[in-house]
Amino acid sequence: MTHPTRRGLLGAAAALALGLAGSATGALAQEAYPDKPITMLVGYGAGGQTDLIARAAANVMSKELGQPINVVNKPGAGGAVAAKELQAAAPDGYTVMFHSNSVINSAPFIMERVEFTHEDFDYAGMLTFFQVGLVTQKDAPYDNLQEFIAWAKENPGFSYGSLSPEARMYMEAIAKKEGIDANIVPLKSGGDMINGILGRQFVLAFSGGIHNKYPDEMKMISALTTIRHPSDPDVLTIEEDGFPLGMDTRTTLILPKGTPRPILEKLSAAMQAAETDEDFNKVVAAAGIPIMYMDLDEAAEEMESSYAKNKSVIESVGVVAK
Amino acid sequence: MENLIIGFQDVLNPATLFWVAVGVTLGYVLGALPGLGKATGVAVAIPLTFYLEPVAALGLLIGIAKGSAAGSAVSAILLNTPGEPSSAPTALDGYPLARQGKAQKALKMGLYASVLGDFVSTLILIGLAAPLASYALLIGPVELCAILLFSLTFVGGLSGGSLTKGLIAAAFGVFFATIGLEPETFISRMTFGRLELEDGLALVPLAIGMLAVAEMVLQAGNMRTLDHESARIVQGASRDDRVVTAAEWRRCLPVIARGTLIGSVVGILPGLGASVGSFLSYGATQRASKTPEKYGTGMIEGVAAAESADNAVVPSSLVPLFALGIPGSVIAAILIAAFILHGLTPGPLMFKQQPRLVADVYASMICASLIMLVIGYFGQRLFAMVIRVPLRLIIPGVLLLCSVGAYMETSSVFSIYVMLFFALIGFFARKLDFSFVTFLIGFVIGPSLELTFRQSIQILDHKAANLAGHPIALLFIALTLATVWWTARGNARAAAARRRSDLVLPGSASRGPASTETTGNHKGG
Repeated sequence: MTHPTRRGLLGAAAALALGLAGSATGALAQEAYPDKPITMLVGYGAGGQTDLIARAAANVMSKELGQPINVVNKPGAGGAVAAKELQAAAPDGYTVMFHSNSVINSAPFIMERVEFTHEDFDYAGMLTFFQVGLVTQKDAPYDNLQEFIAWAKENPGFSYGSLSPEARMYMEAIAKKEGIDANIVPLKSGGDMINGILGRQFVLAFSGGIHNKYPDEMKMISALTTIRHPSDPDVLTIEEDGFPLGMDTRTTLILPKGTPRPILEKLSAAMQAAETDEDFNKVVAAAGIPIMYMDLDEAAEEMESSYAKNKSVIESVGVVAK
Repeated sequence: MENLIIGFQDVLNPATLFWVAVGVTLGYVLGALPGLGKATGVAVAIPLTFYLEPVAALGLLIGIAKGSAAGSAVSAILLNTPGEPSSAPTALDGYPLARQGKAQKALKMGLYASVLGDFVSTLILIGLAAPLASYALLIGPVELCAILLFSLTFVGGLSGGSLTKGLIAAAFGVFFATIGLEPETFISRMTFGRLELEDGLALVPLAIGMLAVAEMVLQAGNMRTLDHESARIVQGASRDDRVVTAAEWRRCLPVIARGTLIGSVVGILPGLGASVGSFLSYGATQRASKTPEKYGTGMIEGVAAAESADNAVVPSSLVPLFALGIPGSVIAAILIAAFILHGLTPGPLMFKQQPRLVADVYASMICASLIMLVIGYFGQRLFAMVIRVPLRLIIPGVLLLCSVGAYMETSSVFSIYVMLFFALIGFFARKLDFSFVTFLIGFVIGPSLELTFRQSIQILDHKAANLAGHPIALLFIALTLATVWWTARGNARAAAARRRSDLVLPGSASRGPASTETTGNHKGG
């Protein structure tokens, strides 16, 4: 059984749109999978951290699977545009999305028009962990969250750099509980954050993990995750400091709901090869990003628990979907 | 310095030069194709460089970045379709020149200005990376906000005949830039429930629609004159139409110097980008000119101003990256990853730890500038053949290129709708004589101005008195006020003069940039 041409692909270097034909179903097809190129959606623009990791992972997986993987950037609404497209794609393993799982487990609680649940997709596995934390200048007079709160009470009207609704939420929650007066400076990118910290525009900032590239200039005072960071094992998590607000994000290989398990298993195994691949390790090491591979079952479990956890965190702080 | 000599020894071998040339060529072609820019080119090429020696790999990537900044002028001049948004001001005078049969002249000036801007900016990077970068950090959101406010005063100079119409167009530009998530509390503004609008309108489809598609529609509307025109547009008959004359060189060199300076400064400052650089340079040149009203009708200086600044941004945006390890632009952010992969960690320490590799990078950057000159020179002869094709055959091809270009960045048909919507606006802007230059400036600067203004309020702790701690910002606010006063006074005088001259020559009021050419067509039809 063959369907007619279904998707346009972007041959990246040649910059030509190609049509792809053919798609088979049934057990035979699952065994033969993959017998044609795979499209990998990335919900951010070309050149970002996630995009670079996706491209490196696509390289490894395409070697493992013996078929080319075309990375297609489809930015918009933090990945929600790409995820919507993935939802509409056939669950045949030929359209996959490599993205931060935050698009499914926290965006729905923050953005009004995003209504995914963890059950709307299938997952082939998770690959890397975002070391999200609160960071400051290396020479700042505080080394952990408690010391910072004490300092902030003495210094009302300080500035805090915020990249995202989540980043805002953290400072609002801390300020409300501790009665401190913070000015929240909106930022557009991780680069803005680094400039602001190094240029001493603010005394604390939210980092999605990029601070690990600047160990001589920055330090982290609190990990905003449920576990401590591999790069900073001595820094307490925000949960250990008494705020039950830790949220974990990981790059995840997301598939349309109903993808047959044998296909998920093949993709999962191909992705695991990245763990030991030399080129892939170089890419993530350069960015200071730890690999924490999870297979498809662990990934499904992690999605379920993080979805519930993030929902309770964001709702407890009282951020309403705007 | 002796390191640099070793660097040249490392780079000046056939294998390395080959990869630098491959990068420049690839970049030049990518740049000429609308919608495919340096960011995409470099991001896609990074995995390919795993298999190369570090010097060749970094040379290839830098070649792509530099080549595409120069290549984007080609389609801007020949088709009125900027290959990258930062070449939009190049089209304003480059395209009219091409229509006058001076395409080769415009292309050459574009290339020379690109190479000069790029080369001098590279020298600035090599010589001043370390001392300049520490000043860049002094420029925080408060200072940037004041600088951006000042740059909005260029709207006054670029408005063409009517300051009011120019301001209206700029206000519309700012208005369309507000679509999307509001940057502070993330409330959707005017997205009408479309997820595609949450991140705002992208500059590429908007600029392509306003500049290229609208122009093609207008041209197609003049079918009867088209064939007549095409006959006239073929290669300019005289040699002077194909080369840059000595007199033009004399007029353009100061323009290129200013463009290079503006581009280099904009590149060093965080978060502004090449589009701001080329628009500012174009605006400053137009303002400094003795015949500002002629801009938009085919002034070679316009091409020189835009391209020199556009290309100067690329090397100088590496200054904060090399000196402090901070990415000053999208391209620098992408290059960080590539540099680290190949054993060079950007930052102050790299000069101590890897002096030889740094010297190699510098040497390959200089070589890339020169290779760009050669490849651009010969490549243009191929590209310039486009103008020999009758216009009625070009229009469908350009419309296809426009659609592909709009689609590329987001892989989404929605961008093509955006392009068509702004084609409509561009069409009426031309018909009604509104300046789309000021519209684009409003659109490019509006969001940065809003963000830095909101940041400034927070950083100043909501107290205007705290501005006293920001002397650079105060200086630019004073400059802004002075310019507004000066423009308003000049405008009032011009209006008075016009009232007098209107008695003699009714209807002689000047028109907005780039509209003369199209209006001329109506007369022909």
